[in-house]
Amino acid sequence: MTRTTKIVGVGAVLAILLVGIPALINISGRWDLYYTLTSVALLSIASGGVWLTFYIGRINIGQGAYALMGGYVSAILVVKYGVSFWLTLPIAGLFCGAVSVLIGIPILRLRGVYFAMITLVLTEVARLSMLALPITNGAKGITNIPLPGAVEVFGLTLIPDFATLSNAKPAFYYLSIVLMILCFAGLYRLVNSRLGKLCRSLQQNEELASSIGVNIAYLRVVAYVISSFLGGIGGATFAAISQSVYPSSFTIADSINFMLNCFLGGLGYVFGPMLGTLVLYFGWDLLFQTGEFQLLIFSTVLIALILALPNGLLSLRFSKAGKESVGRE
Amino acid sequence: MNKRNFLKSSAAALAISALSLGAAGGALAANKVLKIGFVGVTSGPAAAWGTSNVRSMQTRAAWINEIGGVKIGGDTYDIEIVTFDDQKDPKRAIAGMEKMAQEGIHYVVGPNVDDGAAAVRPVAESNGIMYFPYAFPKSLYQKPASNAVLGMIANYQSGPAIYKFLRDKKGVKKVAFIAANESDPLSQRDGGVAAANALGLEVVADKDTYQNDTRDFVPVLTPVLRSKPDLLVLSGVAPGNAPLLIRSARELGYTGFISTETAQDAKVLEEGAGDLANGFISVGGASTPEIRSKAMEEFIDRYTKMFGEYNDESNTKVYALEYIIETLKMNPKGIDDIGEFKKTMDNFSAPNPYMKGDATLKYVGMTSFGQKRQVAVPMVVNEYRDGKFDTLFIAEVD
Amino acid sequence: MEQVLANGLYLGAQYALIALGLTLIFALMNVLNFAHGQLYVLGGFVTYTIYGQLEMPFVAALFAAAVTLALVGGLMERFLFRTVLKRSVREESTMLLAAGTAFFLDAIILLIFGEKQRGVPKIVDGVFNWDFRLIMPYDRILIGFLAIFAIAAFVLYMQYSKTGRALRALAQDRVAAQLMGVNVDRYSMIGFALGAMLAGVVGGLLVTITGVNSGIGGPISIKAFMMVMIGGAGVISGAIAGGFILGMLESVGLSVLHSYGDITYLMIFASLMVFLSIRPQGLMGKPWG
Repeated sequence: MTRTTKIVGVGAVLAILLVGIPALINISGRWDLYYTLTSVALLSIASGGVWLTFYIGRINIGQGAYALMGGYVSAILVVKYGVSFWLTLPIAGLFCGAVSVLIGIPILRLRGVYFAMITLVLTEVARLSMLALPITNGAKGITNIPLPGAVEVFGLTLIPDFATLSNAKPAFYYLSIVLMILCFAGLYRLVNSRLGKLCRSLQQNEELASSIGVNIAYLRVVAYVISSFLGGIGGATFAAISQSVYPSSFTIADSINFMLNCFLGGLGYVFGPMLGTLVLYFGWDLLFQTGEFQLLIFSTVLIALILALPNGLLSLRFSKAGKESVGRE
Repeated sequence: MNKRNFLKSSAAALAISALSLGAAGGALAANKVLKIGFVGVTSGPAAAWGTSNVRSMQTRAAWINEIGGVKIGGDTYDIEIVTFDDQKDPKRAIAGMEKMAQEGIHYVVGPNVDDGAAAVRPVAESNGIMYFPYAFPKSLYQKPASNAVLGMIANYQSGPAIYKFLRDKKGVKKVAFIAANESDPLSQRDGGVAAANALGLEVVADKDTYQNDTRDFVPVLTPVLRSKPDLLVLSGVAPGNAPLLIRSARELGYTGFISTETAQDAKVLEEGAGDLANGFISVGGASTPEIRSKAMEEFIDRYTKMFGEYNDESNTKVYALEYIIETLKMNPKGIDDIGEFKKTMDNFSAPNPYMKGDATLKYVGMTSFGQKRQVAVPMVVNEYRDGKFDTLFIAEVD
Repeated sequence: MEQVLANGLYLGAQYALIALGLTLIFALMNVLNFAHGQLYVLGGFVTYTIYGQLEMPFVAALFAAAVTLALVGGLMERFLFRTVLKRSVREESTMLLAAGTAFFLDAIILLIFGEKQRGVPKIVDGVFNWDFRLIMPYDRILIGFLAIFAIAAFVLYMQYSKTGRALRALAQDRVAAQLMGVNVDRYSMIGFALGAMLAGVVGGLLVTITGVNSGIGGPISIKAFMMVMIGGAGVISGAIAGGFILGMLESVGLSVLHSYGDITYLMIFASLMVFLSIRPQGLMGKPWG
């Protein structure tokens, strides 16, 4: 791909996401799609983090823990301390990142299914902690969280107060889509940097990477911290949309779904988690009118897709060209 | 295009067309159609809760449509039930509520759990939807909230009545609580403990929890029963876990009372615990034969014919749809305007078709919520005996 | 204390049997079978239908459950996992397939058997009561022994039969086994069928005690993973040890930590995490990447 086609392509995607889809929703009157697509954007951010841990060769089934933590950090700061949501969003991400350093250092030594398992347990530990900690309001959750307020710089309103909008849905849509674009632009940049190449070497053979002087312990923690940061951001935004957070807001089922999104999209492609989330979440949503057969149709389609494209949906398009970008043969 | 690629793309195309199949709409009838929504859990471990809701609504809707629809104002309506499975996930529950808004629905039954009910609140309020959750947090029903209507009796209403009855009539002194370590059961346990303390009962265990996926309850119950309670309260117990808990407690030699504040199913108790479940106390709607009207019997009949097997939880869950329709009958303007519906709620009254005698349908909740945001379901405290429920006593909520 | 130990032993026996099937499939094919719990549930429902509904003998029902599940397991391997394993770049991709299969089985089971908790009549009545120090219903004792018997039978089968030897060779080194003339495809299918059968047998046994419910497949799978990880993935003795340890941990943990109330489970799970980070390959697992 030349530089110009790349720029045109990126521009086109941005235009579709930021202008095209809202315009289509306005024309068709399908206002419910705003929330669905907002969810897809936020869940794919969290899945993007999981994808990065896949990239260093770890199966991460613990992203739900960080999403939950992020939701609580934001909710507690907004409700109990009156901090602006816009400030809590990065704080939630950084908090999760900091916690993941402490958790990551011991557990990142584990590999394969052992790492998968310990992260799965981590999700449950997070849920039970939120039930037990004094600051989280326990089983009753935190409800009635105010909507994000205005952001003003020198009297100029950059972001309006969401509560004053007649409809907060498009606002949340734009917020989530922008976050998603930033997240995946960052991931893309990261993967194609020197750090990304080192990560790939980790995926292939840690001992070998270590022997040629790669600081694998440091690299693993960095990847895991970025992953958890993204989980926290996703969770915090969800808490703002639902204006509530409960210990059950993110559970093991979510952790597993984040992982499945990556598989479905394709582990070898940065934009895999985005597509995977879209198909898995949107697919379930579209099928809602099939009532009791929803799960049956959904799972049948899923199995058919895996049988046809075991390396992820994106392998269809890149089946020849993308081989080099796949980590391992 | 080679064969492999062709196969791949056709599989993808098949998948997409199968997905979009779901987007096609339903058929239209001669009458106008009144759509009523349901957002709740109909798959996974808690499937029983939502399924009994959905099936009650579908049974009642089919019945109404069969006899030519329901007359609201000048028009006759067929009832169409639109359901959404939220998989007990609050994030999906929001999506479900958005779908309901998209369908132009103003009346939704559900969600079934606390977190879902709290999560859908912003959507319901901004889209003019009245919803009927089966969740107990008071903030959903107290001002400034006004769109939620509690669809059943809350534990903080039935619990004190049960404990008082057992204290006064059966000499119960010591109570032990056990709950799953999830939001709903834990909140209900805390409410129960407070009620028991207020009644002067001695609470001997109030901190014991179990994982909801527990299959063997003997290890959980062993330490609890050492405190020798007269009454064991299964707070917010899932219908699937109730017989297992009862059976384990009895097999460990426990002889006191066992009760819960949620609705249960007699068949499940019979299969899961047999005779050991005799004497188990739970709360239901028009659940016992003594108080059922002919209409309730016909409802059970139709339900059984439609779905193969009745679920006693539906004794309570039959009511929400009835309340919606009857209130709309009283004030047809409510069909598109929930403001009108809310106005009507304060003075609404209609005969209760499912109970013998002159019981009425009305909205209650002044004591608990300060406004009428609860459907008046008869609080029938019943006792399981040999495969069916016997009435212990009937009370009312105000 | 006797009671707590007995509870733990009984729980451990059933856990170990659940974990065996999962670890077998993992050892043979590196597939973490997310649908294991669903297979367990299916076994429970087959037994429920034949013993509870059709009122045929329990042994016949258990046999039918074993055969049905072996069949289902074989078909799963032949038409789903084999295809994906052969064509995927990273073998972890089978986790998505396993999850898809789990959803599919969940849907089928829910549609056929309904959403209610189901149970069957007790197979033996009566309760063993030693002066209230140790109380154990006879059916629990019987099922506990049956579970231990099944575990022993399985271990002996793996140790001494021709199939068992071939399976063990396959688990140790797939390529080497192939070079030694083991029909890899055939034995993978047999192994998968055997693993599924074990799940079905536990489901069938336990339906007499704890009943069965169409929604519990997922949670059971997750619990089974924990046991496998404690003992060490892909090692049969590890799965047995893991099952008994988790059983004991729950029973003893719930008693000892009783005074901590709400946070009992938090402590159990947190200590599990600590254990795994100190011992990254479980008790007896191979340090596998």
